[in-house]
Amino acid sequence: MTMKLQPVQIATGSNDRESRLVFEDGMLVAVLVLLSGEHDAHAGKWFLEGGFGPVKDVHAPLFDDLETAKAWISTQLVDITSRD
Amino acid sequence: MQCESVTSLPVCPIDASQTDPALPSPPPTPRFDVSNPFVRKLEGFGPLRDADRALLERISANAQRIGPRVDLIREGDTPDGVILIMEGIACRQKHRANGARHITAYLVPGDACDLDVALLTQMDHTITTLSTCRVVRLSLDLVKRLMDEHPAIARSLRISTLVDEATLREWLVNVGCRSAIERIAHLLCELLVRLQIVGFASEDSYEFPVTQLDLADTVGLSNVHVNRSLQELRRQGVIELRGRTLKILDHHRLKSIAEFNAKYLHLGTQAAA
Repeated sequence: MTMKLQPVQIATGSNDRESRLVFEDGMLVAVLVLLSGEHDAHAGKWFLEGGFGPVKDVHAPLFDDLETAKAWISTQLVDITSRD
Repeated sequence: MQCESVTSLPVCPIDASQTDPALPSPPPTPRFDVSNPFVRKLEGFGPLRDADRALLERISANAQRIGPRVDLIREGDTPDGVILIMEGIACRQKHRANGARHITAYLVPGDACDLDVALLTQMDHTITTLSTCRVVRLSLDLVKRLMDEHPAIARSLRISTLVDEATLREWLVNVGCRSAIERIAHLLCELLVRLQIVGFASEDSYEFPVTQLDLADTVGLSNVHVNRSLQELRRQGVIELRGRTLKILDHHRLKSIAEFNAKYLHLGTQAAA
């Protein structure tokens, strides 16, 4: 499995714009957004703006960095694979 | 500030009688404590005799102060009385096995939970304080006597139960088919009306000791989306949040965003009585 990130700007309707499209084996599995200064203590963390398939989780944690986010997304993908 | 848990404090009553024309007029010579939220709420649903007011005041006296985040009764417990909130905000909530929760109701001053709870053998949800509260537990026997022997009180309590159900329906609509900002706006509009009735909100302001995480679990959104919605409402000049005080700067706009119509709170019931 190969995970690739593509920088993109997203119009979230807030100051949270800097984002990454997350692809796994060429398929879009998640969208991560960097939280702006509007979020005070959480500014600078990465938020799962959207997840697809097994990555969709409204209670996903905030991630300190992209590596942590990638590891969490990989776990979600593995979890669903192991359930199949 | 928006992402931090707000330390909870008691909601302080604000005398709204001078500012809200919808509130019932105080009697010319008030012989009773007009600030008692239980009396105010029930009087909103129908006229009460002096003896009824006196009784309600007597049974709601000596409320116990309970800190924030305390379970008053848990899912699975055997109901042992009817919980009455006299100050602060509590909630009804359900938990999933994975720790996730959803808040299905806010209980504000004057709210009594589950009149007929004695008919059930166990609670199907948990009632928890969100802020420091003053709480009374009415014994099941006392509630039965209220319902059997005091028809005006019984009538208002029954209407209050219907309003609880109507509010739950409105909240279902909220999470089912309103956007993030609309959900928040709707909740803020509802709380203004409910808190005004019991004298805990002025014309445009109230204490809002609910954390952003509580709010997220109430409207079924992430903490991030709640924060964005609150920021957007601020940017538009609709609300102002200072510490725990919420001030609604543009009530017309807030109601418009939420498509808020207070009919489901049945405030006109007194006039129809």
